[in-house]
Amino acid sequence: MPLSFTPVIGLEIHVQLATVSKLFCSCSTDYIGQKPNTNVCPVCLGLPGTLPVLNGRAVEFATKTALALNCRVRNRTRFHRKNYFYPDLPKAYQISQYDLPLAVGGYVELTEADGSKRRIGIQRLHLEEDTGKLVHIASDGRLSGALYSLVDYNRAGIPLMEIVSAPDITSPAQAKEYVARLRQLVRYLGVSDGDMESGSLRVDANISVKVSDGRWGKKSEIKNMNSLRAIERALEYEIERQSSMLARGEEVEQETRHWDDAAGVTRSSRSKEEAHDYRYFPEPDLLPLVLEEGFLEEIAESMPELPWEVFKRFEEVYGIEPEDAALLSERRDVAAYFEACVKAGASPDKAANWIKTELFRVMNECKCSADDFPVRPEALTELLRKVEQGDLSATAAKDVFGLMAGQGLRLDEAIKAAGVSVGKVSGGALKDIIDEVLRENAEVIEDIKSGRDKKGKKVKFLQGLVMRRTKGQADPQEVSELLDESLNN
Amino acid sequence: MELWKLPAWKIAEEVRRGNLSASQVVESHIRRMESLEPSLNAMITPMPEEARRRALAVDEALSKGTDLPLAGVPVAVKDLLCTEGIRTTCGSRVLGEWKSPYTASAVRYLEENGAIVIGKTNMDEFAMGSSTEQSAFGATSNPWDLSRVPGGSSGGSAAAVAAGYAPIALGSDTGGSIRQPAALCGVYGLKPTYGLVSRWGLIAYASSLDQVGPFSRDLVDLALVLEVISAYDPLDSTCVPGSRPRYRDALKAHDLKGQRIGFLKGYQDFDMDDEVKEKLAFALRICQEGGAEMMEVSLPVSTGYGLPCYYIVAPAEASSNLARYDGVQYGLSEEGKSILELYLKTRGKGFGNEVKRRILVGTYVLSSGYYDAYYLVAQKVRRLIADEFARAFSAVDALIMPASPTVAFKKGEKLDDPIQMYMSDLFTLPVNLAGLPAVSMNVGYSKAGLPVGVQVVAPKWGEMEILKVASVLTDAVGSPKVAMGGEG
Repeated sequence: MPLSFTPVIGLEIHVQLATVSKLFCSCSTDYIGQKPNTNVCPVCLGLPGTLPVLNGRAVEFATKTALALNCRVRNRTRFHRKNYFYPDLPKAYQISQYDLPLAVGGYVELTEADGSKRRIGIQRLHLEEDTGKLVHIASDGRLSGALYSLVDYNRAGIPLMEIVSAPDITSPAQAKEYVARLRQLVRYLGVSDGDMESGSLRVDANISVKVSDGRWGKKSEIKNMNSLRAIERALEYEIERQSSMLARGEEVEQETRHWDDAAGVTRSSRSKEEAHDYRYFPEPDLLPLVLEEGFLEEIAESMPELPWEVFKRFEEVYGIEPEDAALLSERRDVAAYFEACVKAGASPDKAANWIKTELFRVMNECKCSADDFPVRPEALTELLRKVEQGDLSATAAKDVFGLMAGQGLRLDEAIKAAGVSVGKVSGGALKDIIDEVLRENAEVIEDIKSGRDKKGKKVKFLQGLVMRRTKGQADPQEVSELLDESLNN
Repeated sequence: MELWKLPAWKIAEEVRRGNLSASQVVESHIRRMESLEPSLNAMITPMPEEARRRALAVDEALSKGTDLPLAGVPVAVKDLLCTEGIRTTCGSRVLGEWKSPYTASAVRYLEENGAIVIGKTNMDEFAMGSSTEQSAFGATSNPWDLSRVPGGSSGGSAAAVAAGYAPIALGSDTGGSIRQPAALCGVYGLKPTYGLVSRWGLIAYASSLDQVGPFSRDLVDLALVLEVISAYDPLDSTCVPGSRPRYRDALKAHDLKGQRIGFLKGYQDFDMDDEVKEKLAFALRICQEGGAEMMEVSLPVSTGYGLPCYYIVAPAEASSNLARYDGVQYGLSEEGKSILELYLKTRGKGFGNEVKRRILVGTYVLSSGYYDAYYLVAQKVRRLIADEFARAFSAVDALIMPASPTVAFKKGEKLDDPIQMYMSDLFTLPVNLAGLPAVSMNVGYSKAGLPVGVQVVAPKWGEMEILKVASVLTDAVGSPKVAMGGEG
């Protein structure tokens, strides 16, 4: 019997919290693009004699996330010191949480491709400070063979929330989905921008492979996966690598591997995984973290509707197809935009269609949020109404929308500027265009006349051509009537 | 009049009244310091020029009507309290000429009240030691006998106050580093309740034990300085919020009627100098005569396990606190072909033997596989010690114990025997482990003329209580004399 291989995957996600200041000092969290070592103070530099003071906002953000992930939040936790030497770690220890994390035991529910639900357990969620960054400089400016290294502490002390999943993930697609859900959540909650490219959300994977003959390979820790796609690809590669080793009867080594996105492979980081002994012990400079009476209730009350709740509601209340509901609920701003349209009187279907095509297209171009999108939901609803009433063709409406979005015009101004209005081309002018179209499509007419257009598709095709040629300025009703007339002659 | 003999409160009074200028006061103390420093080596960084400048500024502020309760009072500061713009060395080579861009809160509070820092005092490297011999800047001598140690680790501060460099000084006490040198130099030294005084700017040795505290030759000064330095500081999360009492009010006590004073059961059997035992008995008699009800107290865990417990907890924290001295950002930095070599060379050269010893011990007791057997057990013992004191204090209001088992010992005597050195702090360590306040004070002199001290310990936040007992003892024995030619 051929062997089968089952991957066992757990993910550790570090999320940079969108607090105003760092975790233990008042330095800004806005460090990207700053001149090296300017976003620092004695505390985050770990200068002798300095002491940390916990940022309460970070505790709020982490607690909010924990509650949304169905975790149990502890009323009393502690910070520990994780001790190790590295130049990017100013105190030579990281203030983190160890055996008393802020929250434990939650889950995220994923929807599989077949629509079935699957829960991925969350083992723990805790707070810790970020490190600085090393830049290696070689004589030729390249990384390999670096002669010396530079340290930038701007990032040191940025609050991180570490979310550790249970090893419940069984496929790369699932891993990708899990990360996508978490990213969506932290964005909904406004606790992080969740940007993977800039490192606001960093994913490490622990992956091992179980063999049907009872063997279970050792795990690898995969780092440097900087996009959802990279996670999926890296895990696919790693499953293949480990499975084929196990198939050959080889042992999988426990090690840390780096994903090389360009080459599409994981590589051993070669530093033989010495069993790191971090010598954790309770951080004596901070008191135990005791959540005040009523704090959890307060956080729970301030909780916005969660993305999966929004998804469900869009499906159930508005009858939106799951695929569209997922698109609309992906981002909180888009979901709010959609709901505002519906509230203003748009039909959910039409609004959904328009948003997922036109709105997304322009938003992608301008990289803007739906919250400050130039065409407000009320204006879009009005535009949709005009289309529905036949005042504007769909094609014309797109031009109008483009002008409203691009130039910030009001609806009436945009219609005027586009030079479109329904019925502008009619009567003789329309007849001329129809005749022109018919002349160019003799075979189609032949098909229709010989009764081969059973479903009326070919007539529709001709109507479409006419509409396009009139730039959508004809009344579809009139087009239909005139076309019928011509065809029946 | 020799101004360096005056207590701080008197200096402040005269300066505020305009009878003396801060500059005069500072000048007198600088001359005293400069004349004795060659024989004492109590200072790592004397600051005569800065002090003179500060004195002018204080005089100027007074002339403008600013009220400064400590106007013109010179203060010596242990060299692990950061002072902006002046190097802070911790008695180590590893910090090099590093200057902090901030001032320790306790120092800043004193300065804001008109006190003037005249220098940074010598200490055992990173406060690890009981003799001030283990300093990269040489040993400090005891002003009562130059061949002897002043105690440690705040030996420079104790010697400076005893010899009249300044009426007051700041030190830090992690296991007895204020109280033991105070006893050996014959001055007052107070270790506050953990959490009373801000640790901001105090370079950490063992964070859960360290407290900043004052030295003085006058009890009013001690209470006055405590009032100033104990202000709440939000920069230290372990500093307890709330207002502090007016500690000087405790000194109105001249008897101990209604007080229950405890003493160690069988203290005569402890390994101590006979003269220390005699003076302890003398102090107990004074309390009794002052109307206190005397009660035997038994502290078997504290006296039996305090020392090993301390030598697990303190080195563990130290191994982590001192890891930052790696040659990357500041201080000594040796070149290396790799980052590891840089670390090894910098730390190998930068730290002295005792510091290395404690870093090794601390690293060991926190290592996986040993953590449970050492660190965790020590934490449990620490809890038991706190409980034992709490039980004792359900029966007594204060305890009188030895501050040091011996008088000042000869230089070099214990340098090669760490355990003997550690034993110096047998009676002071448990107090830190329990986070309690204690005052160490002179109760007389040995036949050889060496000071003998005792310590008074109270429950947490019992500073008023220990000052009350100290006040009654002072009534009987008098204020400490100034060493080296001072009549007191």
